[in-house]
Amino acid sequence: MSEPTVASRVDDFVAAISQLQLHASGAQPFEIDGLESVVSVAPESLAQVQKCLTEAHSSALRVAAVGSGAHLQLGNIPEALDVALSTGRLHRIVAHEPADMTVTVEAGVRLADLQHALAEHGQFLPLDPPGADRATVGGILAANVSGPLRHRYGTARDWLLGTRVVHADGSTSKSGGRVVKNVSGYDMHKVYVGSLGTLAVITEVTFKLAPLPKVDCTLAIASPSAAAAQSIISAGHERGLAVIGAELLSPTAASAVCDRGAWTALLRIAGGGAAVARTLDELHDYAALAEGESAEVPGAWDRWRAVFGPADLSLRVSVAPSDAGSIAENLDRRFVGDAAQISATSTAGLVRINLAPADDARAPAIVDHVREIAVERGGVAIVDAAPLAVKQLIDVFGPPRSDIEIMRRLKQRLDPERLLSPGRFVGRI
Amino acid sequence: MADEPTPSYVAGEIPNGSVTAALIRDLEAAVGKRYVLSTPDELLLYEYDATIDRARPQIVVLPETAGQVAAAVRAARRFDMPVIPRGAGTGISGGALAATGGVVVALTRMRRIIEVDSENRIAIVEPGVVNLDLSKAVAKHGLYYAPDPSSQRACTIGGNVAENAGGPHTLAVGSTTNHVLGLELVLADGTVIWVGGRTRDLPGYDLAGAFVGSEGTLGIATKIAVRLMRMPESTRTLLAIFNRIDYASNAVSAIIAAGIVPSALEMMDRMIIHAVEQALHCGYPLDAEAVLLIEVDGLEESTAEQSEDIDRICRDSGAREVRLAVKQADRELLWAGRKSSLSALGRYFPNFYVLDGVVPRTRLVEVLRASNAVAEKYGLAVANVFHAGDGNLHPNLLFDERIPGTTVDVLQAGAEIMRLCVDAGGSITGEHGVGLEKRDFMAWLFDDADMAAMSSLKVAFAAGERFNPCKAFPTHRGCGEVSVANAQRVSARLGEDVYV
Repeated sequence: MSEPTVASRVDDFVAAISQLQLHASGAQPFEIDGLESVVSVAPESLAQVQKCLTEAHSSALRVAAVGSGAHLQLGNIPEALDVALSTGRLHRIVAHEPADMTVTVEAGVRLADLQHALAEHGQFLPLDPPGADRATVGGILAANVSGPLRHRYGTARDWLLGTRVVHADGSTSKSGGRVVKNVSGYDMHKVYVGSLGTLAVITEVTFKLAPLPKVDCTLAIASPSAAAAQSIISAGHERGLAVIGAELLSPTAASAVCDRGAWTALLRIAGGGAAVARTLDELHDYAALAEGESAEVPGAWDRWRAVFGPADLSLRVSVAPSDAGSIAENLDRRFVGDAAQISATSTAGLVRINLAPADDARAPAIVDHVREIAVERGGVAIVDAAPLAVKQLIDVFGPPRSDIEIMRRLKQRLDPERLLSPGRFVGRI
Repeated sequence: MADEPTPSYVAGEIPNGSVTAALIRDLEAAVGKRYVLSTPDELLLYEYDATIDRARPQIVVLPETAGQVAAAVRAARRFDMPVIPRGAGTGISGGALAATGGVVVALTRMRRIIEVDSENRIAIVEPGVVNLDLSKAVAKHGLYYAPDPSSQRACTIGGNVAENAGGPHTLAVGSTTNHVLGLELVLADGTVIWVGGRTRDLPGYDLAGAFVGSEGTLGIATKIAVRLMRMPESTRTLLAIFNRIDYASNAVSAIIAAGIVPSALEMMDRMIIHAVEQALHCGYPLDAEAVLLIEVDGLEESTAEQSEDIDRICRDSGAREVRLAVKQADRELLWAGRKSSLSALGRYFPNFYVLDGVVPRTRLVEVLRASNAVAEKYGLAVANVFHAGDGNLHPNLLFDERIPGTTVDVLQAGAEIMRLCVDAGGSITGEHGVGLEKRDFMAWLFDDADMAAMSSLKVAFAAGERFNPCKAFPTHRGCGEVSVANAQRVSARLGEDVYV
């Protein structure tokens, strides 16, 4: 007897979950790298997520968890996609304890909605990745995306206290907890961060929170060179000034983000009034020293997030912070003809480059070039977005490292049938 | 998920003398005769940490390089002997004890600071580097290593990694896990690999994050890449004295509610106040019920503004007195009482048992009261000195082991207090690990499915059951008899070199 077809297995799946009436919710199909989900489901409770995954598991269907769809361009091309499991209806804020500075939310809560609720209590979750206007908390974790606030606040893992997940077979587990300090058990939640849904589906998350700064303003310092702009960022960092976001923008990026046509240090200055005042004073001095022109640019971060969302070709280079400025300059020089826009969170050693090559055929060569530059400095380059034809030719993560076998065994253990976004992760896990 | 593997190994099967002798020969070949210890006298030092339990290994090996660690691990594996990594032995969860016997791999000879990259604020260190020595070594660059367990003069970075150690200053900057970028590991089969690296964005699962806090059960870290922080230009320390512990606790909540996250926020209770005052004459009023020690750091302008706010909040919350210190010598005076609190208690009680529980900040007062009531029920004295800012309680049960039955009462009371923390929505450990001591409490926090998912890391790292057996997770086959068969319960003694 031949294997049942995907279509018949999907029919079985749909029949099995029909009692949940998830179809009535009007869940949209999702597309990842040209693969369109055969069926979309939008469960609204942990039990429903479990039921969906249990049934998908018994029908051997391949599942991708999807939040808002803001990060679907990440990762290698999945081998198959049968079921898109949307977390969009898991949108409750489960518990916010302002005095504990912790919040527990379902994975489908949009970051923007969460920030709005937290702001009423003078708090926020210090994450601001591109796509933050619509991205869900679960999606941000699974994609491990970060934004300019990384300069001061680190990445999602630094704020994550615990998760609940549903595994490929429909079972559920949690790790961590809801208190700000906790070392009981292995920190499983660390491996789910950035796993692109290949290990489990995140359903609930607890974060610690930060107080919203009293004063918050943004300064753009247009400078004669990348090195000059970088020197201002470095000086502020060395002095411990009240800077919570610091991006080094290439002239094309600065033009789109804050109407400067030069290498620009875009700085978010925040804290108490006196600390902010002194920080502005000192930064103006550093700007003068570097022959830069400074101006306050309200609204620049919204534009930054729009500009540094996924482009035709988006790459992320990770190197030592001391190399970030020169790499940004090097990339700009080399890819000026490809409409490169560059933004470096230089203090974290992260350089983003968005390109619009005139010809897709150039893209693989660009990827190779960028990777070469990164590797020369002991770093790595990851392709965050590329045309399908390009993704078919490359591994977006580059060659795996010596710890790949541990990762494979982890995948094998948690999802032995390879049902969760197979092929999408590092080493095509 | 795939089925649980059955542990291949039954604890308590201590190998016979000839096996041990053959293994000793192999280990001597790997690291040199001098660095393999096996006589009872030599082993004595390695049979305890800072807990109540003690257990003797058959062999202690002191490697100097990752290659030697790998050779020792491979040798132990050939003889199917447990491997127990060990730092300075300052832990208080029994994490470094040879619960079922075996080979202790003591990493204290691996104490090189391999590289300091001051520009990028990174250091690469060996696991035996003493925590405070790293901060001292990088001070000339204006940098420091932020996690500061109270035992930082003695404890090692490797041990800190194993337990995901905290300290008073984790409130603002996080625990060890937030400061480790990557690790070179020796795995159970002797392979040496890196997880993580110098940057955060290496592709792949965050295995370094998963390794930190794994209590020596997944492998042995032989190099650790840590993040360093720039010393703040200004630090201000406040000491606020309260007549009622509720007032102090309300002040803690009010400071946080005001949007201030101090770099440290510590509380001491009446018992500590009395002991410290008798020993040091810090000027703590004896009728006070609680003292808060609060520190802020950063720009001069920030600390000035925040310390004024904190002063006002404390007074509004009922503080009878608030002292402020700016100069380092004055700040150290304010910290002196906190730092010597346990040794001061030694005047009154020969033994102590320190607990490490966490509760949501908002439940502090209630859990403190209930925990004091538990101690009272057992007729035990209790002194509280703890990280109030992050709800990390350290009730210290004080007793005299010479009174028959007391040690049993202490352990029972400790278990009840841990249960209180869990029932309040907290955890059984904030910074010292589960270890040997609290593994049976894990089931209060995690169900079988939770722990099955966690066990997938053991499979991923191919760690087997021979790496630090009977730690961190509830008893599996063979571990139940640990305390009867191999470990002898004795009581930790209060004195100069005890910390919390």
